Amino acid sequence: MPQAILLALLAGVMQAQDVRTIAIDERLAADAGLRIGDRVVLAATPESAGDTAVIGALVRRGTDPAEIARGEYRVRLHLTQLQSLLGYGDRVDRFAVQTRSPAVTDQAIARINDAAFGFRAHRSADIAVETSTTFAVVSRFHRAIGVITVTASAIFLLCIMLLKVEERRRDVAALRLMGISARTVVRSVVLEAAAIAVLGSAAGVGVGALASVIVNSHYQAVYRTPLRFSIVTPDIVLLAVVLSLALGIIAGWLAARRLVATPPLTLFGR
Amino acid sequence: MLLTLAFASLIRHRARTLLAVLGVGVSAGLLLDMVMLSSGMRESFRSLLLSQGFQLRLAPKGTLPFDTEATIRDADSLVALLRARPEVERVSPVLGGQLHIPIASSTVTAAALGLEPAVQGDYELVEGTHPAAAGELAVNDALLRAIGRRLGDTVTAAAGYDAQLRGLSGVRTLRIVGRVRFVYMAAEQRGAALPIATLRMMQGADATGRISLAMVRLREGIDADSTRTLFERLIPRVTVISTSEAIRQVDERLSYFRQLAVILGAVSLIVGFLLVTTVMTVSVNERIGEIAVMRAIGVRRGRIVAQIVVEGGAIMLVATPLGLALGLVTARYLNSILARFPGLPERIDFFLFQPSAAWTALGLLVLCGLLSGIYPSWRSASLQISTTLRQEAVG
Repeated sequence: MPQAILLALLAGVMQAQDVRTIAIDERLAADAGLRIGDRVVLAATPESAGDTAVIGALVRRGTDPAEIARGEYRVRLHLTQLQSLLGYGDRVDRFAVQTRSPAVTDQAIARINDAAFGFRAHRSADIAVETSTTFAVVSRFHRAIGVITVTASAIFLLCIMLLKVEERRRDVAALRLMGISARTVVRSVVLEAAAIAVLGSAAGVGVGALASVIVNSHYQAVYRTPLRFSIVTPDIVLLAVVLSLALGIIAGWLAARRLVATPPLTLFGR
Repeated sequence: MLLTLAFASLIRHRARTLLAVLGVGVSAGLLLDMVMLSSGMRESFRSLLLSQGFQLRLAPKGTLPFDTEATIRDADSLVALLRARPEVERVSPVLGGQLHIPIASSTVTAAALGLEPAVQGDYELVEGTHPAAAGELAVNDALLRAIGRRLGDTVTAAAGYDAQLRGLSGVRTLRIVGRVRFVYMAAEQRGAALPIATLRMMQGADATGRISLAMVRLREGIDADSTRTLFERLIPRVTVISTSEAIRQVDERLSYFRQLAVILGAVSLIVGFLLVTTVMTVSVNERIGEIAVMRAIGVRRGRIVAQIVVEGGAIMLVATPLGLALGLVTARYLNSILARFPGLPERIDFFLFQPSAAWTALGLLVLCGLLSGIYPSWRSASLQISTTLRQEAVG
């Protein structure tokens, strides 16, 4: 509803059969110390007399991402009660229509829009897409940040692998002088790099899962919502492992190629 | 000599140095972005709110400006009361609504602001004149494009629909006298400004004496927050929002981005630090014999430590301009993504470049560069000369 509803707590908890019931947000109940059965006065403006109602239910906010940043409280009333409070007559902001089957939805929308004046019918799925634009933007932002961090990690990994392989200059020189082929040396280095990458990704998945738990518990407390902000899915784990494995193998291969291309005695520093 | 040796050492392993510079550059870019994100949003919002010089906004009780369709009744007496206050320099009453403009077989709908052009702070005039007289209209480019009209043209516009009569309500012929840019509207949003009396007349009896918002500019030297408290006590039927209160509420709603900035900024610093520390440590390990020889021929311990610190610092220093450039480019790209938030005013920037942000990022990087040299320096300084030389000689 577009209007703001003001809610004042009445002292006492008298019960009356003719008083209408309302449902309020769990967070409003917690902040204002309200309980089921408490009597409150609802008014559209501070100076109006308002209408008495009894709290009949507490409502837990759903996991709707569109609501997380909105701090205001919610009160659910019977339609006629709210219309009367706001002086709205029989007007409504919107109404939902359930069709008999999904197959006839388009037909129903077309027929309603043919007859409609001053309003339009929309498919619920289209409205969901429209209202989730904010999260589509956030999702794109996360992807862009992800690309930057993956680039930084890739360079970091490449650098570390290069250093790791170069530390073994003498080992590689000895192997080469013993007659081990360059191909075998490259393979062993790549294998080692792959093993490090797999171990590193396993540790990374652990750190990520822990970070996800911390992020969820923090933001669920900040925004007072059961919404999960971070989810570690098998797809994400697979992507992380494959990416680091590929990066590790490429980095190991590049570093090993450089080593075997250098004469063994030079590697020995002679 | 010190610089020459450090330079020679870095050049000896070109690939490694290049990768380290690249890695630190990307980290520095991300760090700059995050510093810009953590402060830019707030600064951008503050400058938007203060751009027209109004420090206070009065909205219907319990609401934020234009967050709902609620209006303030008896607004003329409220505005008169405010204008009589010694703290107040200017009051701009605003009534919100919609304009429906029939074009061929369809209707173009736009946000409409009814205001007093002489004191308004909602738009900047781009071309033409202010809509001062009854029946005059100023529109933004998005609306002008949608209706295909030009300055001087007239349009028939309505304030609403009458569902029972199946017709438009509050129909009036308006003349477009100005092309404007709305300060608080989203870039693609169609908007129109007209005298508040005209909009009230179009909206009918329900709108008589009502406004959606009053913006208040205080006199020089008057404290906005204490005046806000005073006005809320004087006029209990409205919510008074000061710039600092509005910023606090935006901060609360967008705290996620600030916290993300802190976390990613810290991660990028750690990555840069680890990278330089690793490169320098490996470099020292490789040159352990060389360092032992230098010590044996009389080079002082302090000089060797200085050389290693200079090498770490040089990587950071070369990477910083790269990071700055990278950071500015990515900030522009990331800002263009976040600018697509629905309803976000065109002038809000999430990534706002301020010299202080660049200095903060640079300071953190320099500190990081110095810290990253500590371990390798300590290792090189604590070498046992004779043992190291013997080990190196034996191989």
